Amino acid sequence: MSERDKERLSLIPVLAESHPSHHIGRTALMKYMYFLQTLRGVQLGYNFSMYSYGPFDADVLSDLSTAEAMNIVCSTQVSFAGGYGYRIQQAAGAPRIKQDANGFLSQHKADIDWLLKEFGGLNSGELELASTIIYVDREFNDLQVHSEPAFLVGVVNEIKPRFSRECVETSFNSLFEKGLLVSV
Amino acid sequence: MSRVNGLHKTYEIRCPVHGFISLNEWERCIVDAPAFQRLRRIRQLAWTDQVYPGAMHTRFEHSLGVLQTVSMLYSAIASRSSDVLKEDIGYTQDGLKRDQQLIRIAALLHDVGHSPFSHASEELFPENDHGLKFKHEQYSAAIVRTELRDVIENHPLNTANYGFRVEDVAALLEGSTKAKQRLFWRDLIDGQMDADRMDYLLRDSYHAGVQYGRFDLNRVSNTILAIRGTRGRGPRLGFSEGGWHAAEGLVLARYFMFTQVYFHKTRVAYDIHLKGALSEILPRGKFPRPIDAEIGDFLAWDDWKVLGELSAGRGGEHGKRLINRDHYRLAYHSPEISSPDDLVFLELIKEKLGNLVVSIEEASKNWYKTGATDIPIMSDVDPTLVQPLSKFSNMVRSMKANNQVLLYVRPEDSERANKIIRQEVENERTRQGTLEFDPGAS
Repeated sequence: MSERDKERLSLIPVLAESHPSHHIGRTALMKYMYFLQTLRGVQLGYNFSMYSYGPFDADVLSDLSTAEAMNIVCSTQVSFAGGYGYRIQQAAGAPRIKQDANGFLSQHKADIDWLLKEFGGLNSGELELASTIIYVDREFNDLQVHSEPAFLVGVVNEIKPRFSRECVETSFNSLFEKGLLVSV
Repeated sequence: MSRVNGLHKTYEIRCPVHGFISLNEWERCIVDAPAFQRLRRIRQLAWTDQVYPGAMHTRFEHSLGVLQTVSMLYSAIASRSSDVLKEDIGYTQDGLKRDQQLIRIAALLHDVGHSPFSHASEELFPENDHGLKFKHEQYSAAIVRTELRDVIENHPLNTANYGFRVEDVAALLEGSTKAKQRLFWRDLIDGQMDADRMDYLLRDSYHAGVQYGRFDLNRVSNTILAIRGTRGRGPRLGFSEGGWHAAEGLVLARYFMFTQVYFHKTRVAYDIHLKGALSEILPRGKFPRPIDAEIGDFLAWDDWKVLGELSAGRGGEHGKRLINRDHYRLAYHSPEISSPDDLVFLELIKEKLGNLVVSIEEASKNWYKTGATDIPIMSDVDPTLVQPLSKFSNMVRSMKANNQVLLYVRPEDSERANKIIRQEVENERTRQGTLEFDPGAS
C-alpha cells in the first residue's frame, strides 16, 4: 500500500470521528474529500468530475470499501422518510492506519478542523449544492471566465433545478462571503 | 447526388450480443470517421487472449453495443419515469426525444479516446495542470471537439433537427457543468449502472467464453427507472422492486468477472509488460496530451502501431517478454479480502524476497475494481419508500471490497522465490502453533 493510499484511508475514520456526531454519510465523505482537495489543496489524487448530484469520483467509494474491508471504519444503513443513507463510523482497525499516516494527519489537522467547522453542519442536499457551486466556479476559473454572481447562480440552478433560486443564492452568498469562490 | 438523399435510412449491424444494432445516417457517418474506425484497432481487453484466446474483440464493437444499450435504457426510463423527468428536471416529451439522440451519440463516442490496448496503458497518460493524470474520457472529449467536429455539427440530420454542438457531447463525456440538467443521463454513460458496464460484461463474457458476466439485460431494462430525490436532491437511477434480482445479477456479474477475468493473474502480468514496453516505446515515456496541438499525434497510437514497434524489437525486456510469451509469474498473493494481518504477512514475504519481486499489483488500483455500490430500489406499493439493494440481497450485503495484493517475480526466479515463500509460510505456521499451544499464554 502506497503512502498516498494510507493517507486517503486514514482520513475516513478521522473525518467520521472528528465530526460532532462521530459519524458521517457517504455524500458527506465524497464532498469533504472534494472540499479538502479543492479548497485546502490537500493532495489526495482524486479526479472529480460532475454529475447531477455534484462532484464525484468513484475512487472515494472504492477507498471506503477498502476501509470497511480492513475494519478501519464500519458502515450501517439508516432509513429516513423517502430514502436511506449510511452511517460511517470509526472501527477497531482505525488506530493502526492513523498511526501509519500520523505525519499526514498532523500536517492537515488544521484543514480538517476548518472543513468540519465550515461544512460539518450541512446536510447531504446542502453539501451537494455547495460542492456544485464550487465546481462551477473552478470550471469557470480554469476556462479563465470571470463570471457575474447571477450568471453562476443561474448555471447552478440549471444543474440542480430542484433547489429554488433563493436557496442557490443563499448558498452562493455564504461561500462568497467566506472567500471560497475565485471566478466572481 | 443531393446530400439529403438517403438521410432517413437506417442501417443495421449484426452484433453477437444484441442481435442487430440500428444506426441512423448521422450516426453512420460518425462511425465512418477515421477517429472512430481507429477503435477497430484497439482491443477491448488488451492481452487477455493470452489466458482466454477468444478475447480478441475491440472497442469498435463495444462502442456500438453501448449505443444500443443506452438507447434501450433511455427509452425505458423516459417511458416509465416521464413524470419524474418532467417535474424534477423540466423535460417535455419533445425534449426527451431530442436528448435521446444526444445521449446515443455520447454513448457511441465514450471510448473514442482510448489508448492502445485500452485501460492497460492508461498509466502512461500525462498529468494535467493540477498534477492529476488525464482520463480517457478527456481524450474522448478532445477528439469530439477536434476530429469529429465537422461530422457532428454539420451533418444535415443535426442541422435540420437538433442543432447540437460538439460541446454538448464533450460536456457529457468529461463531466462538465456545461451539460447542465442533462448531467442526469451521465450515470447511463459513466456511472454505477451505466450502459458501458452492461455491454462490456456481456460482451467480454461472450468473447472470453465464460458465463461469469451474464445477467438479465432485458429484465434490467424492464425495471430501471428514475427515482425522485429527497432533501432537495435531484432524481437518480434505480430499479423498481420487481427488478432487484436483475440488479443483483448485474452486481454479481461484475464481481465474478473481476476475479475470473479482469484481475486474472496472467492477464495482470501482461498489463505489467505492456506498460513496461510502452514506457520505452513512447516519446518521453508518455502519450501526447488531449489538447488541440497533440490530439492528432495521440490518434496515431493504436494496437497496430504498438505491435509494429514490438515486432521491430523495441520495448526492451518487456517487449521481448510480450513477443515470446515469457511473462512474469505470480509468486505470492494475499487473500481476496485481506485483513491488516494478511497485509503484514505479505510485507514480510516481500521483504524476504527482496529484489526478486519485480512488480506489486493491487486489486484496489485496477480499473475494473468494484467499490461501494448500492443500488436504490423503489417499493412497488409505496413509491416514496426507497431502500438499497443490500436490504433485499443477502449476497450484496455480504460483499466486501477485494483488496488483494499480488507479488510477481521473473519466471527464471520463480523456483527460488517459491522456496523462500514455502519456508516463510512454514515459519508462520510454527509461530501461530506456538501461540496456540504456548502454555504460558493459557
